[in-house]
Amino acid sequence: MPDPVIALHAVKKNYQDVPILDIARLELPAGIYWLQGENGAGKTTCMKVMAGLIPFKGEILLQGKVSSREHPVQFRRLINYAEAEPLYPSFLTGRDLLELYLNTKGGNPEEIRAISEKLGVHIFVNNPVSSYSSGMLKKLSLLLAFTGTPALILLDEPLITIDTRALAVLYDLIREYSAKGVSFCITSHQPLDEEELTVTGTLKVAHKNITLS
Amino acid sequence: MRTTSAILSKIFTQRFYIQNTGFFLVLFYLLFGVVNGANLLAYHKGLMLGFLGNYTFLVLVLLLWTSYALKCVGFMLKTFQLQGYDFLYPTMGSIAKPARRIIWLRLHTAIYMPVLVYVAIALVIAVQQGYYPQAVIIAVVNIANCIWPLALYERKLEQPDVIFFTGHLQRWINRHFTKPPVLFFLYELFTNFPRRIVSTKLFSAGVLWLTFLIMARGDYFDLRGLQLGVMISVLSHMQLMVHHRAFDDTYLNFMENLPVSLFTHYMRLVGVYVITFLPEMIIITANAYTKTTPWGLITVFCTALSLMILFRTLLFFPKMNPEVHVRYTMLTSFIVLFMILGHYEWPAVLLLQTASAIIFFTKYRTYEPYIETGS
Repeated sequence: MPDPVIALHAVKKNYQDVPILDIARLELPAGIYWLQGENGAGKTTCMKVMAGLIPFKGEILLQGKVSSREHPVQFRRLINYAEAEPLYPSFLTGRDLLELYLNTKGGNPEEIRAISEKLGVHIFVNNPVSSYSSGMLKKLSLLLAFTGTPALILLDEPLITIDTRALAVLYDLIREYSAKGVSFCITSHQPLDEEELTVTGTLKVAHKNITLS
Repeated sequence: MRTTSAILSKIFTQRFYIQNTGFFLVLFYLLFGVVNGANLLAYHKGLMLGFLGNYTFLVLVLLLWTSYALKCVGFMLKTFQLQGYDFLYPTMGSIAKPARRIIWLRLHTAIYMPVLVYVAIALVIAVQQGYYPQAVIIAVVNIANCIWPLALYERKLEQPDVIFFTGHLQRWINRHFTKPPVLFFLYELFTNFPRRIVSTKLFSAGVLWLTFLIMARGDYFDLRGLQLGVMISVLSHMQLMVHHRAFDDTYLNFMENLPVSLFTHYMRLVGVYVITFLPEMIIITANAYTKTTPWGLITVFCTALSLMILFRTLLFFPKMNPEVHVRYTMLTSFIVLFMILGHYEWPAVLLLQTASAIIFFTKYRTYEPYIETGS
């Protein structure tokens, strides 16, 4: 049996003294997952924990061998994250961020340039992010999530604020990357289009735990 | 219904004078408070005759008036960038260009008015006393100071994303220069909080200037005396450190997902403070290179940077609020001061560096902002 793409072992997350997540064990084989939960259930926290953005107790393993604790750099190379409401310093341009991601995460710049053109990011990439609309910011953050050579891409509410053309491009990208072996974990309050994406499983965040169905 | 000018005057002119009340009080005191009331007219007439009769003095005065014009321009342009003021683009953009130019002129001259009043009186004196060329120069410069900003306001309306004076330069920089992460915080300060960085640097430079002045008056030079001044200079940067943490917390969270080693993160932090302290290092070198050895200068720089880095790393303790931070930085400063007085500078540097590295490497990955609940 192949190693799960991600495995959470005894993962606990508190904000101050308030427990938010308490996951004894969760293993996900490669695939596309829809992460569901009510507002405040802990979906974004769960994604931030998986992406190594916020500290937590326990351990997360990627591809059965890359540990969040023992291999923090390798871990971050294998997992990418696009925030629901991305926020960047106002003076940075899209190009500054893109080059930073390419320099650190690696990957093929030509491939990213092609995605940038498909999403329409190339039009405003040289402008400071302070001049971006929420849709432009969202497109940029989605583009950044596809840089490097990730094994798992976490997309937090990717369907909101982007236009229908960009949405079609996004579905294409998810299918294309999934065919190459990249897994996805997607949160969305809107149902994912069944004709566009075949979901491997649904993850439900409730009562501080995540269950796979 | 109120006129457009009246509404815009409330947005620009009234806000300008309210925000700059302190500035005008100081200016008023300097111009009218330092001289006996009976001699006030004679004093100002003397001042005007002074710059009318001396071209070097006149250039200085013109530069002062132009710097005030720049302050006015900065205020107007910044208003457009403030949150909640986006409505200015569609509303001002809907006014016909000739009418809009008149509105710009009214708004700009309203906030440039203190200079115009003084200039008008100076012109009367100049004509009375026969200083005609000087009167022409003063009139031309001030008319120019009322007209050239209008082009910038028009440009701002057409290109909202332009921060620098020239959009072409900004776009060229954006296309050809990628900002390295070590400069992110400095960009933040210079683009969004210029007053904060400029006031800190002026204060810090003032402390160093005073340190050298005291030693020069006493006709001596002691490296320990210089280090004491440098420590006060470092302490003046504390508000920047707290701001640095808030900036990282708010905007650089995405960096935690990048596959970057802890060592690289540490080097970035060190780099931020080396660059921040660069102006002081230049001032110190320029004033002390004839009085001490290069090794002496290196000792001073290493002590200053070690203190700065430790003070910043202390903020990786999430509950370290500014008040608690001040206590720890003062305590550390006293310990380091006594070590310096006892000529233990390098053991102090070693201790500071070790403490910084230990705190950073143990705290960085586990740090997250602490939100006080108030209970």
